[in-house]
Amino acid sequence: MIELDGVTVSFDGQQVLTNLSFSMKRGEFVYLVGQTGAGKSSLMRLLYYDLIPEAGRVRVAGYDSSNIAPKEIPFLRRRIGVVFQDFKLLDDRSVYDNVAFALHVTNARRGDLKKKVLHVLAEVGLSHKRNQMPQELSGGEQQRVVIARALVNEPAILIADEPTGNLDPASSAEIMELMTKINMRGTAVLMATHNYDLVKKYPARVVQLKDGRLQEVDMRAPKKR
Amino acid sequence: MALGYLIREGFSGFNRAKLSMSAAIFTITIALLLLSSFAIIFLNARSIVDSLRTRVEMEAFLLERVNEEGVPAIEAALETVDGVESVRFVSKDEAAEIFKQEFGEDIRRVLKFNPLPASFRITLLPPFRNSDGAASVAEQLEAISGVEEVKYRKDLLEMLDERVTTFLGIGVGVGLCILIASMFLVANTIRLAIYAKRQIIRTMKLIGATRAFIRFPFLLEGIIQGILGGLIAAGFIYVSFEYLGQWVSVHLQEFVQVEPLAYLAILLTGMLLGLLGSAISIRRFISDTVAQ
Repeated sequence: MIELDGVTVSFDGQQVLTNLSFSMKRGEFVYLVGQTGAGKSSLMRLLYYDLIPEAGRVRVAGYDSSNIAPKEIPFLRRRIGVVFQDFKLLDDRSVYDNVAFALHVTNARRGDLKKKVLHVLAEVGLSHKRNQMPQELSGGEQQRVVIARALVNEPAILIADEPTGNLDPASSAEIMELMTKINMRGTAVLMATHNYDLVKKYPARVVQLKDGRLQEVDMRAPKKR
Repeated sequence: MALGYLIREGFSGFNRAKLSMSAAIFTITIALLLLSSFAIIFLNARSIVDSLRTRVEMEAFLLERVNEEGVPAIEAALETVDGVESVRFVSKDEAAEIFKQEFGEDIRRVLKFNPLPASFRITLLPPFRNSDGAASVAEQLEAISGVEEVKYRKDLLEMLDERVTTFLGIGVGVGLCILIASMFLVANTIRLAIYAKRQIIRTMKLIGATRAFIRFPFLLEGIIQGILGGLIAAGFIYVSFEYLGQWVSVHLQEFVQVEPLAYLAILLTGMLLGLLGSAISIRRFISDTVAQ
């Protein structure tokens, strides 16, 4: 589903990711942990080809970064649901239109479109706020709109960059319940976080990004003294 | 169908971005007023020059020995000359009448005979209404047997040619400057409006919108702004020339005329300005699919 092979990324001459390899199977739930600035966001941007590695290759949903044509990139992105850290909601249109936009992009038929949008909004518990503007919603609600938008195309992979980063514990728990539910249905979820409490409460495979490299972490193992 | 959605998106600026939409329409209106005022002055000046040229007639005087029977043959020969538009015979008597009308004296009475030769008044086809064209026609006319000499306002044509070349050069130069300035003005205003939406454009890209999908509503919006700007500018010019002109001076309309087609041209130019302004501005914001 996702395969990174010897990937290197650097900004301004400084390597952020070094010869990194990682793979993720269909339906898997993986936490990506690491300190702020460790390169979690860069790693995620690689997955929706917002970054192309200078070395190595990134394979996602049948596409390969080493030979993808720029024209094909939008089509890859439609197969991945992305929950952005900063939401990236279109603030000039309603909650409904924000979610619908992801479907308009794919030329979805009008009848299908409405049904799908209402369904996914019900799933994230925002049906009653569908006509409101994003800026009228709380942080947790906005995050749920973003999740609804990411899910409406029924992607095989959901990538979430710190989806609970700016939320209070109650909202965070709601978002986590939602993410687990999505994963249960067979969608692979890769979630970046530095909230270790959440990782413990909703256990899954954990990979840590440190000094530009990835390592598997066993959260159940007792810490060494 | 996505096309319907894209068209609705194109019109949505009226709701979502009233201020930048108005700014763009206003800028297009100003640009069009500049351009069209200049074009009207320029074209009217040209039409004055053209009307001067149409007044330039040639007169081919006939030899004294040509009698009435010889006239039709000469007329036929004159008509075959390249560049001749029309030919009109002026008999000796008619020439004397014209003289009388112009000078108040009957030359036949004063001199007891008529010294004025018979002639042909010749008008030229438009491509020959310049000094070179007229000279070549005159040369051919003079070669026709029975024609003694050909006269026309050579000096006027030469003066017109020279001035018109300068005038055309300056006019086209100034017009181009105004056109380029207008395009910059419009493109800049639209760019500011699009710049305000750069985050939205980036989001669209990240959730899988193709370039064409993002671009289309912006281009449509540009066209709509252009048409509205064009309508306002055309209305303004219509009112100015049709009503204000009469109010200032009735004579203004004799010199300045705005053809109905000009209003269509203003509308189309506005549309083109809006479309190009949007196309130029949006390019920069969509070009990088992959962020660097």
